Amino acid sequence: MLRRTTLTTSALLLGALLLTSCTGTNASSGPTGEPNPDATLTVGLSLEPSNLDIRHTSGAALEQALVDNVYQGLVTRDGDQNNAIVPALATEWSVSPDGLTYTFTLRQGVTFHDGSALTADDVVTSLQTAKDDATVVDGSDLAGVSSIASPDASTVVLTLAEPNINFLFALTGRAGLVFKNGDTTNLQTAANGTGPFRVNSWNTGQSLTLARNDGYWGDKAGVAKVVLDYIPDRSAAVNAAVAGDLDVALEVDPELQSQVADTGNFTIETGLTTDKGTLAFNNQRAPLNDQRVREALRAAIDHDALIDTLVTGQKLGGPIPPLDPGYEDLTGDLSYNPDHARELLAEAGAENLTLTLTIPNVYPTSIPTFLVSSFADVGVTLKVESVDFGAWLTDVYQNHDYDLSFVRHVEARDFGNWADPTYYFGYDNAQVQSLYAQALTTTDEQTSADLLAEAARIVSDEDAADWLFLSTPIAAVGTHVANFPQNSLNVRLPLAGVTVSSE
Amino acid sequence: MIRYALTRLGLLLVGLAVASALIFLSLRVLPGDVAQLIGGTQASPAQIAALRESLGLNVPLWQQYLDWIGGLVRGDLGTSLLTGTPVATELLDKAQVTAPLAALALTVALVVGIPLGVMSALARHRAGGTALSVAAQALAAVPVVWAGMLLVVVFAVWLGWLPPQGFPRAGWNDPGAALRALVLPAVTIGVVEGAMLLRFVRSATLQALGQDYVRTAAAKGLTRTQALLRHGLPNVGLSVITVLGLQIAGIIVGAVVIEQLFTLPGVGRMLVADVAARDLPKVQGELLALTGFVLIVGFVVDLVHRLIDPRQREAS
Repeated sequence: MLRRTTLTTSALLLGALLLTSCTGTNASSGPTGEPNPDATLTVGLSLEPSNLDIRHTSGAALEQALVDNVYQGLVTRDGDQNNAIVPALATEWSVSPDGLTYTFTLRQGVTFHDGSALTADDVVTSLQTAKDDATVVDGSDLAGVSSIASPDASTVVLTLAEPNINFLFALTGRAGLVFKNGDTTNLQTAANGTGPFRVNSWNTGQSLTLARNDGYWGDKAGVAKVVLDYIPDRSAAVNAAVAGDLDVALEVDPELQSQVADTGNFTIETGLTTDKGTLAFNNQRAPLNDQRVREALRAAIDHDALIDTLVTGQKLGGPIPPLDPGYEDLTGDLSYNPDHARELLAEAGAENLTLTLTIPNVYPTSIPTFLVSSFADVGVTLKVESVDFGAWLTDVYQNHDYDLSFVRHVEARDFGNWADPTYYFGYDNAQVQSLYAQALTTTDEQTSADLLAEAARIVSDEDAADWLFLSTPIAAVGTHVANFPQNSLNVRLPLAGVTVSSE
Repeated sequence: MIRYALTRLGLLLVGLAVASALIFLSLRVLPGDVAQLIGGTQASPAQIAALRESLGLNVPLWQQYLDWIGGLVRGDLGTSLLTGTPVATELLDKAQVTAPLAALALTVALVVGIPLGVMSALARHRAGGTALSVAAQALAAVPVVWAGMLLVVVFAVWLGWLPPQGFPRAGWNDPGAALRALVLPAVTIGVVEGAMLLRFVRSATLQALGQDYVRTAAAKGLTRTQALLRHGLPNVGLSVITVLGLQIAGIIVGAVVIEQLFTLPGVGRMLVADVAARDLPKVQGELLALTGFVLIVGFVVDLVHRLIDPRQREAS
């Protein structure tokens, strides 16, 4: 007896999802004219990928541009439907009651951009490579897979060594992407996927152009071309939007949003993300290995005032954001109380403390400035060390050589980092580790979410870090653009359903 | 003269060799690791180790250096770790933006610096001359970034005459748009560099005005301005050529900054992105090419100086 997730003609459903997902929430940005199928959609983004090799190069920029648009896996997720898992190259799937066997029915009539047909062998090889090759990004997501096989041309069966409730979600990520077996395309500078768009051209330092894939298996893309225009300077991006060079601008500088809105040509929208602005404490290093010191630092931060300074963002009380399972509103635990902070520090014998904050230089300086004055107020001197991201990765992530660190952790469902004492947080709590392991191996989603919530509460109660804010980036969407997605755009930007009307 | 040129060429080669070693070493001291950047924040140490191996980062440093130099001798600047593209190809591609930008900026600097510098020297006792000199002093102290933002606000945002940022995707196939995209950045660099040149030309002109031969010429019946133009300016020109050699280096540095501000896909923006990605083989090729260019400009300036200055010509 199999638990079946049967889905009717899923091409239709996917199309319907894409259509309904956005119109529900942002009906105000409806089109003002008929969609123009020959239109080009120009989207302004800040972070350019360093190459196109999505298998071997990390970074949100690559996923954002290529997953769902150019490359696909058996399944994908819909950011505007609470990250629900929806079919892609598989039309349907079933999971055995013990949670160990996943059987996928492969969609028929799918071709790669080079014209060759998708086979079960392509799927098996792609997944097998992701599992075996250590250089595949997120390949470890498939570490628990014991066998990958295709009993017939339209079926792929994955067997796990133990149940993993996150497994389907992992397949929506890079590890699950399907590539052509024996592809000779130079995937560092070109692409060959099955998605609704082909990579048309990549002008490094400038833009990535996608073109509609006319041989796509599902609903054809709503625009003929997509130009992802990479503009690292925030004010230059706003100027470009105001000048009419962009149809959509993502991650608009909150301070400058009115300039864009005042043109009357854009609707300002904010979306949810799983992007957690994380102030990490080095839990392994004195005096931060003392819970009282960590609690004091959290109590010294006025989160409401910080978010006012940043203009956009939401309070987040714990490690799990609203879009992930196990979320619980823990913001009630955040209480700004400098007096209590001073008491705690005195109790811990940590008066006249000097700490260093290591922060990549891509983030606004308002964050460290705010922290410096907040901590000074309770007698903690904060030195700010602004480094580039490469140096942060080596010093903080790899060598754990830091007191405090700030980065935005954009990944969805990354709670596992709190259950891994070797991660740079250095947080080691046996109970959290055991709860997390149970949450993964249970086969019931609600049980899993409850276990995660319990573990997250412990992490927050122990003040393992402070979550300064949940990013809610601002997008300026042209009034002539319809069906633009809304949530988690910093990691996924599915553009197939977007239409542009001729003005 | 030939002996001088050969000695100078020898110096150039020594300079390049020293530069290559400095570039190579300083990049290896830089914290950060390309494998870690490729692997990202979810990669395990074992994955990073596998990446380092596959990228050839475990080869001893001295061997990496020798490999690089060996390639250079054969005319190969290296290959990007991330895209596999030859550095020379990338440089040629990006130079299509940076070279015209630098040429335009230099033109602006010359047009601003030389005539105004001479005028400000001639009018030094009048209000206009003093104003020019003070303005130049102030402009030369302005950071390029700030000048750029100001120009964008006025000419792109308020007046809407020129694009605020970017370069046409069609590149030089759309020459009008490409040129328009370069105007503001070139003026930004050119005005700041031109202000420095202005001050230099002014003091060189003032010095020439005080020379005996100008006074003698004036005594023979030329006006002071005529005397200066005929006899003084050739001397001013000589020192300007020397300064220009230095200013070309300044313009390149300015281009690196300004390409960020205006989102121009040129050598400067590529260099900054490659440093951020720790694509060291590519960065070292780019830096050496830029250093080589500046050294060659210096070499040419010295030769030209030698050729056109009769005193030096005869001395050799």
